[in-house]
Amino acid sequence: MTFVIQQTLLYAVPLMLVALAGVFAERSGIVNLALEGIMIFGAFVGVLFVRSMQSLDVFVNAARAGNWLTLQGLELLAMLVAAIMGAVFSLLLSFASVNLKADQTIGGTALNLMAPALVLFLIRILANQNTLMMTTGDAASWFMIKKSTLGIDKDVNLGFLGETFLNKVYLATYLCILVFVVLSVILYTTRFGLRLRSCGENPQAADSLGINVYKMRYTGTTISGALAGMGGFVYSLTTANCTSNGDVAGFGFLALAVMIFGNWKPLNIAMASLLFGLFKCIAAAYSSIDINGDGVYLLAELGISSHLYRMLPYLVTLAVLAFTSKKSRAPKAEGIPYDKGSR
Amino acid sequence: MKKILALLLVLAMTLSLAACGSSATGADGIADEMTSKDGKYQVAFVTDVGQLKDKSFNQGTYDGVKLYANANGKSYKYYQPANGNEATDDDRVDAFRLACDNGAEVVVAAGFLQESALRTAATEYPNVNFVFIDGYPIADDAGNILTNIAAVAFQEEQAGYLAGYAAVMDGYTKLGFCGGGGGTNPACQRYGYGYVQGADAAAAAKGVQVELTYSWAYGSSFSASPELQAMATGWYNNGTEVIFACGGSMFQSIAAAASAEDGKVIGVDVDQSFESTAVITSAMKGLADATQWAIAKHYDGAWAEIGGGATSLGASDNAVGLPTETWSLTGWTVEEYKTLFNDIASGNVTISSELVVTPESTANVTVNYVE
Repeated sequence: MTFVIQQTLLYAVPLMLVALAGVFAERSGIVNLALEGIMIFGAFVGVLFVRSMQSLDVFVNAARAGNWLTLQGLELLAMLVAAIMGAVFSLLLSFASVNLKADQTIGGTALNLMAPALVLFLIRILANQNTLMMTTGDAASWFMIKKSTLGIDKDVNLGFLGETFLNKVYLATYLCILVFVVLSVILYTTRFGLRLRSCGENPQAADSLGINVYKMRYTGTTISGALAGMGGFVYSLTTANCTSNGDVAGFGFLALAVMIFGNWKPLNIAMASLLFGLFKCIAAAYSSIDINGDGVYLLAELGISSHLYRMLPYLVTLAVLAFTSKKSRAPKAEGIPYDKGSR
Repeated sequence: MKKILALLLVLAMTLSLAACGSSATGADGIADEMTSKDGKYQVAFVTDVGQLKDKSFNQGTYDGVKLYANANGKSYKYYQPANGNEATDDDRVDAFRLACDNGAEVVVAAGFLQESALRTAATEYPNVNFVFIDGYPIADDAGNILTNIAAVAFQEEQAGYLAGYAAVMDGYTKLGFCGGGGGTNPACQRYGYGYVQGADAAAAAKGVQVELTYSWAYGSSFSASPELQAMATGWYNNGTEVIFACGGSMFQSIAAAASAEDGKVIGVDVDQSFESTAVITSAMKGLADATQWAIAKHYDGAWAEIGGGATSLGASDNAVGLPTETWSLTGWTVEEYKTLFNDIASGNVTISSELVVTPESTANVTVNYVE
């Protein structure tokens, strides 16, 4: 059970964060289809940052001496850098859709096409191969928090909660959850949040009350870019062993599905992400899942083809969207370039 | 809008199903890329699927190219067929043509997947010699054996046997095997089946029962992936103590899972103990040595000895084995290893080299096959 929860969280948390990225853009009235592209770019920047910082003496010594606080610092810095570069990358979308009033779907798609190509091009130049990875060691030995890192003996049982949430976890996971909660609260309870949302519903009305719609849309999309960039790096750190290869397995698009399924509301999105995370976990590790701890691997023993399990996350997405998209209620003004003259 | 979104989602899902994706000492000091004065590159290397710096098969073979070229003042260059893991025969032929047009005198081709492309290239360039690593003799369209191709293969089952034997002798009873190529790669099949036989023999000698979890999942492109890492994490979590990572870059995912779960890994092709502290030993084959040996045949004018023929190197040629310089096992000593190694080399211990995709359970080893 501990294993299932941990693996589910690893997949669910980046998804959740990137879906929230989608919400911020769409609530401000910009359809951000570029989530996938920004994730890929964020993952690349984060991994590149870790890779280039790794050889600094301070981190080499910290890794050797087991000084995990310093290493966590490196992880946080990399997340920050990924977020900043994600935000910068998303400015391309904001510029095209706010200043140039271009079709946002096309703009987003363009970024999605550009990001993997650009990233692969840079990786070829930098590393002379198709995958950018850490120069030494792996993500788990550098960044994972384990009982041994906390100075607790390996054989001490911390109980169910302790084993699940303190052992073999990444700080990034918890930080993402924190960011998710804080930003959701901001979106729904602050004046800024209300203004942002109003620009996605009725920008003309918002403008008449003195809100700068262009500025709000820029802000929404930039926050969106930062979150997606961070989400991309966290995904590659926690599930892909801190490597970047111009691919995040369609997580950006999955995040869009989660956003729609979650009806553009943070709590629903969190639930939807957990659902997809669980199915991703089942798809990859169905043969080792022991549901009630009795040593019987039920899913493996059912005799269902492994291909079915691997299709599940995608089948579930299709099915869920087919059933829920009727009820979904998107921000009214999303996707429509704001034109002051057309009120 | 919603329709477009839905359409994009469906597209994304189909696209995202595609798979996503470094050594020996001495060779690392030699640059992977060099610039020759006349723009010609005498020794060429065409990679198998997977990365050049996979810290395993491709890299091991290329190390041989670099070492020979460096020691003998030859220019060298590597070529990766276009389209990565989805490279077609045409992509590979293009790589061979480029190599030959760049003045290659001898071309090293890694991996049995190159067969068809090699046939075309060797027919087109009869004056260039080709070394086919992990390969077999190839006939042209008329059925005549091409004498400018020298096939070099290894008896991987012996290396796998030694690794399985070592793991069980060192006290591990819950083993794992993650193979590359999706069960279609003969070298990986031999490694895997040898591993089972070795574990069985050691279990019989020690009087223990061994459980072996065996899978070809997530290995078809020999690359690292989140799914492979999740699966390996699951295995370790359920008690698997050591996993034989038998497929190029797959090692990275399994080693990452091992560091997270305090598990152990057995490396493949080259000594991978430098890559992760989780490595207990590696099932090695002498890629670099064999490559140098074959290239030397060309330059020493002795190509006729190997051209058109198949060379299968094993323990008796000292071409497979475990790394003794970085020995970390405590339950089984280097001396004991050498005794077994000599028995294999002399033929006292025979190991089946049959190509088996899903090995059956044996008297002492329960094989649990994971699809």
